[in-house]
Amino acid sequence: MNPLLLFMIPFLPLLGGVFNACCGSRLPQRLVAAVAVLSVAGSFLFSLLLWPLGEGDGTRTVLFSWLQSGGFTADAGILFDPLAAIMTLMVTGVATLIHLYAAGYMEHDENQARFFALLNLFVFAMLCIVLADNLLFLFLGWEGVGFCSYGLIGFWYRKTENASAGRKAFIVTRIGDLFFAIALLWLFREFGTILIEQINARAGELDPLLLTVLTLLLLGGACGKSAQLPLMTWLPDAMAGPTPVSALIHAATMVTAGVYLLCRMFPLVSLSATGMAAIALVGVLTALYAASCAVAQREIKRVLAYSTMSQIGYMFLAVGVGSVSGAMFHLLTHAFFKALLFMGAGCVIHLAGDENDIYRMGGLKGKSPQVFWLFLIGILCLAGTPLTGGFFSKDQILLTAFARGDGFSAILWGLGVLTAGLTSFYSFRLLYLVFFGEQRQAEKGHALSPLMLWTLPLLALFGLFGGLLNLPHLFGGHQWLSDWLGQPAGVSLALGAELGLLLLMLIFFGGGWLIAHLRYRNYPGDEQAGWRSFLLAGWQFDRLYEFILVRPYRTVCRFCWQGGERALIDGVMEGIARLCLHWGGYARKLTTGQVAFYLQGFAWGLLLIVGWFLLSAVK
Amino acid sequence: MTASVAVQFPLLSLLLWLPVGGTLLCLLFRHSSNLCRWASLLTTVAVLCLSLWMGFISQGGGGWLFYEDAAWIEPFGIRYMLGMDGISLLLVLLTALLQVAAILISWEQKEHPAFFYALILVMETGIIGVFLALDLVLFYLFWELMLIPMFFLIGVWGHENRVYAAVKFFFFTLAGSLCLLLAIISLYLIHGGQTGEYTFALEALRQTVLNPGTEMILYVGFMLAFIVKVPLFPFHTWLPDAHTEAPPAGSVDLAGLLLKTGVYGMIRFAFPLFPGAAERSLPLLAVLSLVGIFYAAWVAYAQTDLKRVVAYSSVAHLGFVILGLAAWNQLAWEGSLLLMINHGITTGALFVMIAMLSDRAGTRELERLGGLWSVFPNLSAFFLLFCLASLGLPGLANFSGEILVLFGTFKAHPLWGGLAVAGVVFSAAYMLRVVQSSLWGETKDFPRRDDLGPREWLILIPLALLVVLLGVYPAPVLDFLREPVSLLLATGGMP
Amino acid sequence: MIVPLEHVLFLSTILFVLGLGCVLARRNLIMILIGVEIMLNAVGLTLVGASAFWQQVDGQIMVIFLMAMTSAEVSISLAMVVYLNRRKGTVDVRAFDEMRG
Repeated sequence: MNPLLLFMIPFLPLLGGVFNACCGSRLPQRLVAAVAVLSVAGSFLFSLLLWPLGEGDGTRTVLFSWLQSGGFTADAGILFDPLAAIMTLMVTGVATLIHLYAAGYMEHDENQARFFALLNLFVFAMLCIVLADNLLFLFLGWEGVGFCSYGLIGFWYRKTENASAGRKAFIVTRIGDLFFAIALLWLFREFGTILIEQINARAGELDPLLLTVLTLLLLGGACGKSAQLPLMTWLPDAMAGPTPVSALIHAATMVTAGVYLLCRMFPLVSLSATGMAAIALVGVLTALYAASCAVAQREIKRVLAYSTMSQIGYMFLAVGVGSVSGAMFHLLTHAFFKALLFMGAGCVIHLAGDENDIYRMGGLKGKSPQVFWLFLIGILCLAGTPLTGGFFSKDQILLTAFARGDGFSAILWGLGVLTAGLTSFYSFRLLYLVFFGEQRQAEKGHALSPLMLWTLPLLALFGLFGGLLNLPHLFGGHQWLSDWLGQPAGVSLALGAELGLLLLMLIFFGGGWLIAHLRYRNYPGDEQAGWRSFLLAGWQFDRLYEFILVRPYRTVCRFCWQGGERALIDGVMEGIARLCLHWGGYARKLTTGQVAFYLQGFAWGLLLIVGWFLLSAVK
Repeated sequence: MTASVAVQFPLLSLLLWLPVGGTLLCLLFRHSSNLCRWASLLTTVAVLCLSLWMGFISQGGGGWLFYEDAAWIEPFGIRYMLGMDGISLLLVLLTALLQVAAILISWEQKEHPAFFYALILVMETGIIGVFLALDLVLFYLFWELMLIPMFFLIGVWGHENRVYAAVKFFFFTLAGSLCLLLAIISLYLIHGGQTGEYTFALEALRQTVLNPGTEMILYVGFMLAFIVKVPLFPFHTWLPDAHTEAPPAGSVDLAGLLLKTGVYGMIRFAFPLFPGAAERSLPLLAVLSLVGIFYAAWVAYAQTDLKRVVAYSSVAHLGFVILGLAAWNQLAWEGSLLLMINHGITTGALFVMIAMLSDRAGTRELERLGGLWSVFPNLSAFFLLFCLASLGLPGLANFSGEILVLFGTFKAHPLWGGLAVAGVVFSAAYMLRVVQSSLWGETKDFPRRDDLGPREWLILIPLALLVVLLGVYPAPVLDFLREPVSLLLATGGMP
Repeated sequence: MIVPLEHVLFLSTILFVLGLGCVLARRNLIMILIGVEIMLNAVGLTLVGASAFWQQVDGQIMVIFLMAMTSAEVSISLAMVVYLNRRKGTVDVRAFDEMRG
């Protein structure tokens, strides 16, 4: 197989995106959607076909040299190793389904060309992140997904809030990118190369302190993209975009880019104990924070957004406790069930007549049992119901954390288990509020396009049986994913301890479900207590940032403009000008316009000159 | 000096004086604006074709790609000395390209079209002359020749506050130029006194032996002229005013070309002539450019006029360019020069677009714009593209230069590089603000509701293609820069 | 040389000062012009005297040149005086101070 064929994987979506961007608006909408879907589907087929290239050490191939100067080289190059291969397959596969779904979801929108162009470009950029063999090419994708998500969040741009949400996402993630960029520059300074393979291979040469700094910088970058503390505020607002966008970008792919980056750089990251602890801590704190926020959300998509944030927290925790396979496992299962949940939410919103508030839904089970069952599968996975995909992946992470045995890891584990309980609670709360009880919405819903419905079962299957990917030995599995990634799970617990932990997980899951069942099985009426509004607003982090960052920034800008630019610099310059004018005023008085006055001047001058000559003659 | 001259015909002179020919044609046909604009368009296109052809036939290598030398004013040792290396070639190409855009964007010029086009063409000669001259007097001549047409373009065809802007522009740049003139003459006299050979030739003057004090004074004289032109903080305040008041073509030339002459002057004249002083000044240059990057980004965020935002973004970008020069290594220099060319195209395109946009919307005030996308989808798409390039999205033009600058700078001075990266976030802040308040939101009432016309497509498509091409595959440009830059760094640019 | 050079110089100095006085003191444009003419003639006289003293023809050539120039100058300035008079109805220099700063 020609390794250059690997470039077809990112280039097909690019081609589709550029085609739709250039001439999509002049073509029939169906054709636009078809081009978009086919290009991503083609890319999926290619990644299936080229799967063998990813075995072992993988394949590296370079198309052309992007930037080359003074000892610096950045290629448009692909590194297709096991990690990249599995991620590519997931991204293209889920993206194909979401594109299909979007073709149905956006049926009646006028601007499909723009939508699908951005969606395709997004897939291209995401694939750049996944496949890049050097950090700069990865950075291209990194910023590319940022832009596409900006464009897609603000897709319905006539409402200023949507556009603002897009801008917030772009700028907040760019603050994270800043750290990533510095790490990138620093790595080049140390190694003289930005090839991922080489950096990972030579990471051991670095000073431990520098390693920690670099890890923290990479973590900063990952936090921005993956909406982790403290750069998480953009994700809930990003739900302003169309639902397929939320599914693709803010659940399945882009937000996991941070986790992927840390996995990609794991050989480097893992060398710094402090850095790893920081990653795990950020992860588990975000998981807990987001789960607590999800408990009080009112909009269906915001619940899912916070749950995404929380689940990605788990993935960070996995990386932090040293289990790349755990992180990737959870990333894959999460991608399936979260895409399912988001697209299910899209169906729900359609059914409820464009209603977002779960307190004004209810009783949708009767309206569309099919959506209910699919959504239920998603919820079960999210809540970590035993034997679903989400259960196994989450369990592996917590097991790994527990198995480390030290006090810090124990705290991490404890918080993780607590979060699992919360997750179960808010998942079922969502389910009960939306599907059970009386119908509360006023609007009549509209019918679902078949494209929307028939893409979901596939995801549901993957979500339910995703656990088979990495089934632990306890359940008779072979941990295929861990082997594929070349990371056989180093966890070895006594059988009793493992079973005990499973039981504990089961208790927390059951507890969460039970509380949700008792409180929300029958509609409890609108609830807006004080602590709820605090959680609803995401612990008021937006307010806080507005106060300590945004407003001071505006003030500084205004000060620079009015104080620095206008008053100081221009003031000094104009002051000099006025001084000249002032002194010129005196000289001006000499110009009387009277000929006689000038002639007098001549005469005096003449006298002076003559006098001068006479004096010199006398001497 | 070994000149690898491919063709004996004085191509450089032809290139240089072609626009003046166009000027004469314009003045000849001054009664028919139609003839005038066609004459000027054909002239600029001819210059573009000629420079492209010269790019094709020139082989790489460290020497001058083209070189001309003739006696001019013998008694004072002034020679007509022109030379083109890779850097000059790229800058001349940029000039030729943007001038075509400048003519096309002012196609409908109503007031005194003949003189308008004539001035633009004269300016083209001035700018190309600056990029080619190797004799200091010749250089100074062209340096001032750029100034005068610009003064009139702003002062006569500008907007409401044009006289203030024109005078401010003139005084700032003239004050700088006078320092330059004094320094040139002093250097000439010192060199003549030392060797007995009175000459203004760059190559000869490089051999002058200077004591550190004198060297620093002369260097400052040179640098003042160039820094004002670049413009570096805190000498930049003329730029936003000039941009705001200038007619569209003037803004394009100002941002795309005039600013570049300052950087070019530094690398071609100031640094090679006074290497010792240059080396001592690098930290100061770096500090000024860093302050400029942040300060300009902040001030840009507080602006309400579209043109002013872009003008301040120019200050920030040129800050990156100078920072790269101050890092003083191959990587950063190539990045700086690449960024300079990229910035010329991006910002030139942005000013072109602002002209089209304000023609239709009837205003440049951000608060009175909004929802442009629903009325002018094509125009808005192009505008978005150029804004993204300007905020440094990878894969588009500015990024390729910026990142090389950052790599080079960080390699030499991690602190400078690290700080400069932060500037990128701020550039996103003000650029997105522009996009937000112009393209998105509710559609306001606009006097015109027609999307791009054929002439506008013609301007924008090549610029857009270049923006993408320079972002994705800047290798051809970097190839032209490699040898000259390493020569400049090693021996001050002499082959 | 019959007349000594000193006498010529003395006379021309007197003439020059008279002319200068006239130019400075008078308000009437025509009188100022006449003053200018007197000063010019003083210079001419000096030139002729010097020419005679050093037996060189240059001075006389200069004088002929000067006379031609003077006549041209007078005709132009008188025309301008007529024009100015027409514009403001006066030949008083104080009326013409438009060039004041």
